[in-house]
Amino acid sequence: MNSHNTILNLNQVIADENPEIMRWLSPLDPRRRHQDVRTNRFDSVGSWFLETNEFGEWRSGGGGTEKAVLFGYGNPGVGKTFLR
Amino acid sequence: MIDSLCDEPGEEDIAVAAFYCDFRDQQEQTTANIMGAILKQLVAREEVLGHMRTAFQKAERELDGRGLRLQDMVRMLKQAIATLPQVFICIDALDECLPRNLLELLESLKDILQESPRTRIFVTGRPHVEAEIVAYFITGVIVPISPSTHEIKRYLERKLEMDTMPDAMSDVLHADILKIIPERISEMCVRTSILPTPRLVLY
Repeated sequence: MNSHNTILNLNQVIADENPEIMRWLSPLDPRRRHQDVRTNRFDSVGSWFLETNEFGEWRSGGGGTEKAVLFGYGNPGVGKTFLR
Repeated sequence: MIDSLCDEPGEEDIAVAAFYCDFRDQQEQTTANIMGAILKQLVAREEVLGHMRTAFQKAERELDGRGLRLQDMVRMLKQAIATLPQVFICIDALDECLPRNLLELLESLKDILQESPRTRIFVTGRPHVEAEIVAYFITGVIVPISPSTHEIKRYLERKLEMDTMPDAMSDVLHADILKIIPERISEMCVRTSILPTPRLVLY
């Protein structure tokens, strides 16, 4: 992930310095899976999704709480995991 | 999606937590563990870490280091979210959760959203989990995901460029691959999608 996001960086420092608390919170480590996804993603696959009105409204919060949840559905292999 | 949110230059800092459900890991992916994995990514303030350290030390002393119960985990998650300006939670492949965990997970997310209405939640899954999602989030926005013909073609072109036996490929076959496969895949996606277009569900 990138480094200009302050929250992300603070989280990374806290997580690195407190591994026993992090393991206690959960033995699962989604960051590792995320690295695999990034490595295997093909260029800008799924970038169309970021241009949809549904995504834009969800991202900006324009739809309020009513539109706080976005569900992307599709059959296996259509690229849900790899949306850019 | 996660990288796009993180990379986006914005006026305010955002926090993004992601989780990938996996049917091969169903036993370990309990709702409490999933929520814990999300919480781990949202601890960015010393005060939140302080609460956690206290709870951790207490668990070590009194509970042999056992993990938190789901309700405690959700409570701590709410505390962590309250310290952040904007939180995005992304969970992939909800259909790969055990059914009982899925309902608990949706209930927990709903609980979080009620307390922190600015939170944005993105979930993906196969079409059949739509009913459960709508049951918890009746105004949720539902979007079908399918690769565009253009994307499929570009992917095939890249794969063909990496062909280790290019001499075995004829120009006709090459052209057919780039024409027929994208068309067929697009047809399959349209046929197998239950819902034809993006829409807002309001029941």
